[in-house]
Amino acid sequence: MNRKKDKGFESPKSVIGYVELTIFPTVVNLNRIKLNSKQCRIYRVRVNELEAPFIYNDPTLEVCHHESKQRNLNYFSSAYTAAVSAVDPDAGHGELVIKVPSELWKQGDDLKVLKVYIEFSLDQPKGGLHFVVPDMEGSMAERGAHVFSFGYQNSTRFWFPCVDSYSELCTWKLEFTVDASMVAVSCGDLVETIYTHDMRKKTFHYVLPIPTAAPNISLAVGPFEILVDPYMHEVTHFCLPQLLPLLKHSMSYLHEIFEFYEEILTCRYPYACFKTVFVDEAYVQVSTYASMSIFSTNLLHSAMIIDQTPLTRRCLAQALAQQFFGCFISRMSWADEWVLKGISGYIYGLYLKKTFGVNEYRHWIKEELDKIVEYELKMGGVLLHPTFSGGKEKDNPTPHLHFSIKHPHTLSWEYYKMFQCKAHLVMRLIENRISMEFMLQVFNKLLSLASTASSQKYQSQMWSQMLLSTHAFLKSISNVSGKDIGPLIKQWVDQSSVVKFFGSFAFNRKRNVLELEIRQDYTSSGTQKYVGPIKVTVQELDGSFNHTLQIEENSLKHDIPCHSKSRRNKKKKIPLMNGEEVDMDLSAMDADSPLLWIRIDPDMSILRKVEFEQADFMWQYQLRYERDVVAQEEAISALEKFPTPASRLALTDILEQEQCFYKVRMQACFCLAKIANSMVSTWQGPPAMKSLFTRMFCCKSCPNIVKTNNFINFQSYFLQKTMPVAMALLRDVQNLCPKDVLNFILDLIKYNDNRKNKFSDNYYRADLIKALTNSLTPAISINNEVRTVDNLNADVRLILEEITRFLNMEKLLPSFRNTITVSCLRAIRQLQKNGHIPSDASLFKSYAEYGHFVDVRIAAVEALVDYTRVERSSAELQWLLTMVHNDPVHYVRHEILSMLCKNPPFTKTTTDSALCNEALVDQLWKLMNSGTSHDWRLRCDAVNLYYTLFGLTRPSCLPLPELGLVLNLKEKKAVLNPTIKPELGVGTVMDTPAMTFIRSFLLKTLIVMNPDPISLGVCGVGQPPQGLKRKAETPLGSPPEPGQILQQQDDDGRGGRYKIREEDIDMETVHDSQAFIHHHLNLLERPSTPGKEPPSVEQSMLSMPATPVPSFSKETPSLSSKHSSEHGHHHHHHHHEHKKKKKKHKHKHKHKHKHESKDKEKDRERDNSHAYSNSPASGRSLRSPSLSD
Amino acid sequence: MADPAVASGGSLNAGGRGSGGKAASSPAENYYLARRRTLQVVVSALLTECGFESAEKAAVETLTEMMQSYISEIGRCAKAYCEHTARSVPTLSDTVVTLIEMGFNTDTLPVYAKRSQRMVITAPPVTNAPVTPKALSAGQKRTHPAHIPSHFPEFPDPHTYIKTPTFREPVSDYQVVREKAASQRRDVERALTRFMAKTGETQSLFKDDITAFPLIAAQPSTIPYLSALLPSELELQTLEETDSSEQDDQTDSENAAGNIINDDPGADKENSMLPPSGGVPSTKATEDNVIDNPYLRPVKKPKVRRKK
Repeated sequence: MNRKKDKGFESPKSVIGYVELTIFPTVVNLNRIKLNSKQCRIYRVRVNELEAPFIYNDPTLEVCHHESKQRNLNYFSSAYTAAVSAVDPDAGHGELVIKVPSELWKQGDDLKVLKVYIEFSLDQPKGGLHFVVPDMEGSMAERGAHVFSFGYQNSTRFWFPCVDSYSELCTWKLEFTVDASMVAVSCGDLVETIYTHDMRKKTFHYVLPIPTAAPNISLAVGPFEILVDPYMHEVTHFCLPQLLPLLKHSMSYLHEIFEFYEEILTCRYPYACFKTVFVDEAYVQVSTYASMSIFSTNLLHSAMIIDQTPLTRRCLAQALAQQFFGCFISRMSWADEWVLKGISGYIYGLYLKKTFGVNEYRHWIKEELDKIVEYELKMGGVLLHPTFSGGKEKDNPTPHLHFSIKHPHTLSWEYYKMFQCKAHLVMRLIENRISMEFMLQVFNKLLSLASTASSQKYQSQMWSQMLLSTHAFLKSISNVSGKDIGPLIKQWVDQSSVVKFFGSFAFNRKRNVLELEIRQDYTSSGTQKYVGPIKVTVQELDGSFNHTLQIEENSLKHDIPCHSKSRRNKKKKIPLMNGEEVDMDLSAMDADSPLLWIRIDPDMSILRKVEFEQADFMWQYQLRYERDVVAQEEAISALEKFPTPASRLALTDILEQEQCFYKVRMQACFCLAKIANSMVSTWQGPPAMKSLFTRMFCCKSCPNIVKTNNFINFQSYFLQKTMPVAMALLRDVQNLCPKDVLNFILDLIKYNDNRKNKFSDNYYRADLIKALTNSLTPAISINNEVRTVDNLNADVRLILEEITRFLNMEKLLPSFRNTITVSCLRAIRQLQKNGHIPSDASLFKSYAEYGHFVDVRIAAVEALVDYTRVERSSAELQWLLTMVHNDPVHYVRHEILSMLCKNPPFTKTTTDSALCNEALVDQLWKLMNSGTSHDWRLRCDAVNLYYTLFGLTRPSCLPLPELGLVLNLKEKKAVLNPTIKPELGVGTVMDTPAMTFIRSFLLKTLIVMNPDPISLGVCGVGQPPQGLKRKAETPLGSPPEPGQILQQQDDDGRGGRYKIREEDIDMETVHDSQAFIHHHLNLLERPSTPGKEPPSVEQSMLSMPATPVPSFSKETPSLSSKHSSEHGHHHHHHHHEHKKKKKKHKHKHKHKHKHESKDKEKDRERDNSHAYSNSPASGRSLRSPSLSD
Repeated sequence: MADPAVASGGSLNAGGRGSGGKAASSPAENYYLARRRTLQVVVSALLTECGFESAEKAAVETLTEMMQSYISEIGRCAKAYCEHTARSVPTLSDTVVTLIEMGFNTDTLPVYAKRSQRMVITAPPVTNAPVTPKALSAGQKRTHPAHIPSHFPEFPDPHTYIKTPTFREPVSDYQVVREKAASQRRDVERALTRFMAKTGETQSLFKDDITAFPLIAAQPSTIPYLSALLPSELELQTLEETDSSEQDDQTDSENAAGNIINDDPGADKENSMLPPSGGVPSTKATEDNVIDNPYLRPVKKPKVRRKK
């Protein structure tokens, strides 16, 4: 791909490319080939050297049409789903439909190889490829200009035409011609680099012999500094100029991750090489592709940085796990996504366990579990393996969601994150069931099958082993382990939601029995009923005992016999679960009961939330003596409700105990602050944690002065960072931060001395500012007076001094990732919000602008979002939305929208906000309708925001449409605006039969790509038999648009071996080719600008005789409606007919069918044609951009 | 030597006018004044001898000056000769040699001395030779130790060679030191940031008093990640100071690594700013040829023009 960055200033961000696909038809009558392509300008398509006409129609560009006054989200969601379905490569659709020249039909019928050549260009692409070109003097290399591919899920179609599906595998040969100062990094092995004739450019030749799906192809070009990994010479790292020292340090651990995965999977890394590229303005922190990963450059750090180190290593580990599962082994269909995310997440978890320890691992699992539980309880269930049987809309498995989960591209980002989180947790559940050994055996089996397959020349059966489906995975599990995990899968994979337990107990002294009651809430949203075993651990005086109870329909109570009599006076050590024996002070416990504490589901083997009631002393014992960090953390959160001196003591003891896991100790800090606040009237002694901090971190001789920093012990470093932040949350009787706490923190700042430290203290200082922020309380305001310098509170003045100084110093000596600026901006916003200083957005606006470090921008945007909500400022909201439109950094755009969702200026329940007006509705509608077509994630963010602000229904601030009034009042739901109801109805009618048709049709149209014997000796390419795959995957139905349906009659060409050659085409050539196309189109009686004259365009497609479908008769019932939709454009008929004659001999039975159906069509047509014109996806082609526009 | 004479000669004029009392303020000055006056008399006598009846004051003064210079030069030169021969008092021969050196024919001297019309002038009034003021002696002079012969010069005054430490006991109180360091740093930082704020663009948190808490205005940079990621000079310096003691394990692994850099010209420059832990091992060159990485291979020249 030749990037023209070097070609001058007039068009510095463009790509000219050339794609060559080798297609091996598996059916006769291949006369249409459908590919995915977005935003590419296609100059010319040839099939086997013959010019081929094509249609380029992207229904997702604009989901609903201008004329529509629809503003409710239900309508949009279904239209959007329809649009995405209409070009879904998994269903054999695509934006680009190529007509195979009739001369080749014979050849196609003989199942001979077809080669498709496409010349295209991209000019200033908005999605798919991101160009970073710093605005400064110097050559592109000196400026550090670079470009990289990005996208959410399968988004490769944004930068070259392809079959953009994870399940279409083929081998690749990639060539990139770039400026001589640049390096092009892409998938596969770099075979050679050759100068162009003028010696000003280089061409990088890559070959990827392992069958790979197009979405796993990526590219990064820039003046990268190259670092060959010192431990593994086949691994190469790339970073932007000047960052090499950071790269060296950050990558010095990668080999350990490699070793770990290869060892547990007993499988070598599947690709011959691996490349890591660190780019600026990354879309996500980590994205992995076949044999390479693209990371955010902000992950790089020097040896002085503590906090970033584990985060960066985690990202590396994540990327590498996905190399095995996700890139090398790809998914069969979207419904199987959970298996790959689950496995990669699971082995990543194993890495965490090995590297960061079991405590960290269990803490992480708990964190993830809490996250998913919280999300599901709030938003409704997350469904891992959706099935869309029957394709009826009513069967929507997730009716609680405002988006469809049928496609990755309609999914909210938040949901997708939770999806991944749940997937790996479920893998862990499977591990619990079948043991880790079997689990790893399964992975190994999958990998070895895949790698055997990958080394084969094209064999359709073989390559399918590289695609993983839920079914194959489960089968493999049952083969390896011999265990039936069906119920588990049914509960957690085929069903959404989590379990919510409430537990309480009583001790029956007479029977010496623990009466445990476990209730469930399975009626509220996001919950499900659990039936099955549950583990309960009871710590008694005599030891710890595990009990497995059966949760059944009607049994709430469980009797658990206790082992020990209560005999607390005997001095004896108490054995713990881990075999340790400890002395305990048993004076706190109930004299009659031998129970120390009880835990429900201690191993987290159910996706659940447990609310368990036990006495405060039991929680305290659990905190002090239970060795499991999860139990300790649970105890800490429970103790918040028991503000007693005993809780205080337990927490303080934990805080001081150095053997205790540091994250537990950190959590204890915050709990202690809460308890202290609850106990404010009875609190004795100095403020909580102060003496502790003094003892741990201050000088012996002068306790008010902190020691000079030495962060060599990370545990105490984290504690030192956290304690002031927690202390600042303390409040006195007046609900103010105690004076001596504030002074203490100010002293910490004052005496902070990092000169002797080998680590940077930027995070520590940032946390001290955070502590200052936490100490703020609302200002006492009289009559809303204007905040001036003179009436500034004395304490606040001190705080402001510090913040000003920190913020100014940062300009002179910037800290790593500008953590201090970030903290300062938050502090300033907090000062504003509490009324100490005048609320003003201009400072944040200046920091939010492009050109600041991304963390700073995000912090500033966060403040602006908050400002917008508090001040109800429409100017700021507009400013933010403009940024969503214009900002060069995709991540920032995404963050703005998601922050607006989290902290919305108003919600659907607030009705009186002045912000909520028609103009805003229109603006947001436009944003999600057409403004975000280049970025799936952003569009889903916009949908989320729209949902948060207005809900599913027509926004209340809009004037009601005349007809809708009655129904809206009557039906409380008012989900459907009456005016659109007919349309939706039609949509549904169209939907079902059409889908059935497609499905059955797809079963018949198997196309396999074969190696091209001529082209440069690239090895064979093939595809799994699609029939198999399509069977496994259930319907991908949604109302397809009429234009689309027409095309579906024909075969779609799938996959192929790609040969992307990025060629240098200068403008003359482009014009030439355009002229050629123009001419060619005219010959075909197509207008030069097909978009403007849709009938003619349609005609060229319609003129294609439909493919005969052997099993057609069986499908006839469904056809009528399909054709009815087709004949929304009835005016095409005459074209249709005269072309048909030519091909008559070839497609007789098809014609028969056509005529047959036509009668029905005509009837329907009368009824429905008006409706189609309004239907969400109808008439797309009328307005679709076309190649020669 | 001549200087004071000239200087005093200058003052002589003034003194001659009747401010003698004032001129004779110090004995040394008096002495020089008297000599000068005698010299003036001598010049006048010589003029009379030559037949002049009167002379302008300025002429006499000039001649006096010349005379004084001449005699001073003879004295200086004679002393130099005598010192050259390691004596301290000039002898006649020193003077003679001097005169010859200055181009004076000494043979004419006796004749001239015995000339007939020679005027005899009265001897100058006796004045006390100026006493060199005694240097202030501080402390007890040290006597020679036994191994130094007594004829050697005496020891100078003790204050010229004895070290007298005068510093105060430094404040070793930890608290005060920390306090001082902290406030010093804070003052420096505040002054610096205020200065920057005063000289550049600022942003303010308050509408009413924009100078109250001046914030240096946020300036977007073209490559923001560089300053945010790379350690500052200060931090690097700190690291260098501290890590000599503690950097051990990391360097080991790095060295073993045989970390290789390509021929990237920027690489060496980068290394200079590298924290030692991430340093490029010195084994670089030896392993360089072992690694076969496609990105390190040279770029090939284009082949013969391929078909297009």
